Amino acid sequence: MQVIENLKVKEKVYFEKLNNGLMVMIIPKQGIQKKYMIWGINYGSNDSVFIAPKEEKETKVPNGVAHFLEHKLFEQENGSNALDTLTALGVEANAYTSNDHTAYLFECTDNFYEAMDEFMDYVQHPYFTDENVEKEKGIIEQEIMMYDDSPEWKVYINTLLAMYHNNPVKIDIAGTKDSISKIDKDILYKCYNTFYNPSNMVLVICGDFEVEKIIEEVKKRLIPNTPKGEIKRIYPKEPEEIVKEKIEQNLEVNMPLYSIGIKCESGCNVNTQAKYALNKSDEVKKHIAIDILLYLIIGKSSKLYKKLYNQGIIFMEPYLSYEFSKTYAHIIISGQSSNPDEVFLNFKQEVKEFIEKGIDKNNFERIKKMIYGAYIKEYDDVENISRMFLADYFKGINSFDYLEEIEGINVEYLEQILKDVFKEDKMVISIVKN
Amino acid sequence: MHQITTSKFKTNLVAIFLTNELNRENVTKNALIPVVLKRGSKTMISQEEISKQMEEMYGASFDCGLDKTGDNHVLKFYIETINDNYLPKEENNMLELSIKKLLDIVFNPLLENENSFKKDYLEQEKNNIKQIIESKADNKARYALDRCIEEMYKNEPFGLYKYGYVEDLEKIDGKNLYEYYIKLINTCKIDIFISGNINNDINKFILENENITKLNERIPKYVKPNNSIKEITKENIVTESKEVTQGKLVIGLDVNLQTEEEKYSALIYNSILGGSANSKLFQNVREKSHLAYVASSSYSRYKNNIFINCGIEIKNYEKALEIVKKQLQDMKERKLH
Repeated sequence: MQVIENLKVKEKVYFEKLNNGLMVMIIPKQGIQKKYMIWGINYGSNDSVFIAPKEEKETKVPNGVAHFLEHKLFEQENGSNALDTLTALGVEANAYTSNDHTAYLFECTDNFYEAMDEFMDYVQHPYFTDENVEKEKGIIEQEIMMYDDSPEWKVYINTLLAMYHNNPVKIDIAGTKDSISKIDKDILYKCYNTFYNPSNMVLVICGDFEVEKIIEEVKKRLIPNTPKGEIKRIYPKEPEEIVKEKIEQNLEVNMPLYSIGIKCESGCNVNTQAKYALNKSDEVKKHIAIDILLYLIIGKSSKLYKKLYNQGIIFMEPYLSYEFSKTYAHIIISGQSSNPDEVFLNFKQEVKEFIEKGIDKNNFERIKKMIYGAYIKEYDDVENISRMFLADYFKGINSFDYLEEIEGINVEYLEQILKDVFKEDKMVISIVKN
Repeated sequence: MHQITTSKFKTNLVAIFLTNELNRENVTKNALIPVVLKRGSKTMISQEEISKQMEEMYGASFDCGLDKTGDNHVLKFYIETINDNYLPKEENNMLELSIKKLLDIVFNPLLENENSFKKDYLEQEKNNIKQIIESKADNKARYALDRCIEEMYKNEPFGLYKYGYVEDLEKIDGKNLYEYYIKLINTCKIDIFISGNINNDINKFILENENITKLNERIPKYVKPNNSIKEITKENIVTESKEVTQGKLVIGLDVNLQTEEEKYSALIYNSILGGSANSKLFQNVREKSHLAYVASSSYSRYKNNIFINCGIEIKNYEKALEIVKKQLQDMKERKLH
């Protein structure tokens, strides 16, 4: 077992790789009543073309299979539904699918081990029939339609469409009405058997636990299995260039929504594959630097925010984030504005000015303090801790690194990232308005 | 004063709630107060200045909110800071500092001519509130719920929209809003909540703060929850048409309770009806008939009502309604599964 301690936030994480290949991560939280368990599969909506272990032929499945599988896994052979069983135990259970992983989870205060029985059982026992697969299509169609009416979702997905030519990140995680109509039980079993192998999964547990004991409890509940070998995932090559600078869509909204995207280098860009650093501490440093830069440029205390607020162009601080995975990386700046084009224009000008004039040392130190505080706050809640460690693990990152790397970030590094990442020809805007 | 002393968390939270009666006359003014106070105090004279100080405090999260809790309007102010144990170096007492800042924002506003809120700040915030009110139909699920509440409580305070009404805005100026603020501060119920690693006499610290010592004693004006029996009314169906892919069906139910204890029964009733994935609505509208992705209900103990929410295909309206009604009938007949 490996243990890493962080003295800043005063937490420890234990890593144990079991014989069947399953990685177990435990973050003990003494005195906390809530217990949280999340089981992640290194398989998300982007993984629709692959070569299964020991096969030579490429398998291509319809969009939305990972998400469909997540919905269907709750159904059990004896006619029960795992969600019902867990709810009846008084625990909160759920699941979600992202671009790069799928996760099943529950949280509780009591009945933890009873819930763990059902939880680990259902994830390891798929039961798909023609009938139950058909039934699910109606529900997922409604889920897709719900997103269709959501201006927030539309403005976001259009930003991705403006940035990406081929990368599947631009496709709805749930797929489309058309793509899910092609899903059947054989496809689901094929994907389950390929990806739901312990060696492709991570279990994260957070709460008041004894580490050794909880690992034994996990082992007891695992069915015999062995690592199957490497899954080759095939992702389309992605040009460095954006698709187009602007996408506008009309929906019934009073105040226009905007989302500015900046396409960044990643492992799948045609020309940057070699350059893409596998050194994960570089990834973390880059992420921290981008966070700081975004707040400096358009955060609540910035000159630009003040200007746009006073002109009545924006009236809420924009949502700022850097999203990245193995195959993509981009920045999103989004919100509502009476004049999105003006926000975009001003943002581009402001970036230019930052590059020319350099970064103010006092502002930098202040925002750095703020970001440090934001990282500490992540450790307040067992759910957040578990989800963060899981999502970062699939990116090859140990979440503690953010607290360690931030100290070393300086103005020079920030200015370098500013020039490398905030390039005008990589910027797009998506607008939803009436 | 409310306190929770705990060392379980990395953060300390301070909240100030100003509770007053919800009514048509003051609803828009109440909505404006928090956003105007957020613009600056006598010691932090602009939004930018407040933001900078918050960032300096390792990103103290400061925000305000507005809630309709039963027949009361609650103006909420929060500040969350990092517990001193997790700061990189020895800093001042972060909790005390955050209390000082929050009290300053709520009780020591920036003024013009000593008797008026700053005009340009107010005009901007009036415009922002106007935008919020005019955008209320943007989120369709929320809008359908708000419309249902409005219809159900047509001539009652609870039927009011919490952000107020556009037609009120033009009558509000810096002076009359400040007058209203003074009246509010002197009559409302004030609650201060602190949760975190509290190690010294924080009550004393607050009570000695000059913003607190200047407050007068009062018998607070707010509405205490009551269990008055509601009149039985006829079914009222309201339909509105919008350009959407998915329709929203909201059904509001008034609940008559005799005693305080019955609130627990209502809570369980709602849980069985639509409170979870085990519930009758989720099982019958979603899992068995595949008519919806969202099929749920929620209970409010402040106002004793239940709202059923479904996102459905418009052509399935009759079918979905029938299934929902069947669940309500089942509950009556004790068919809970």
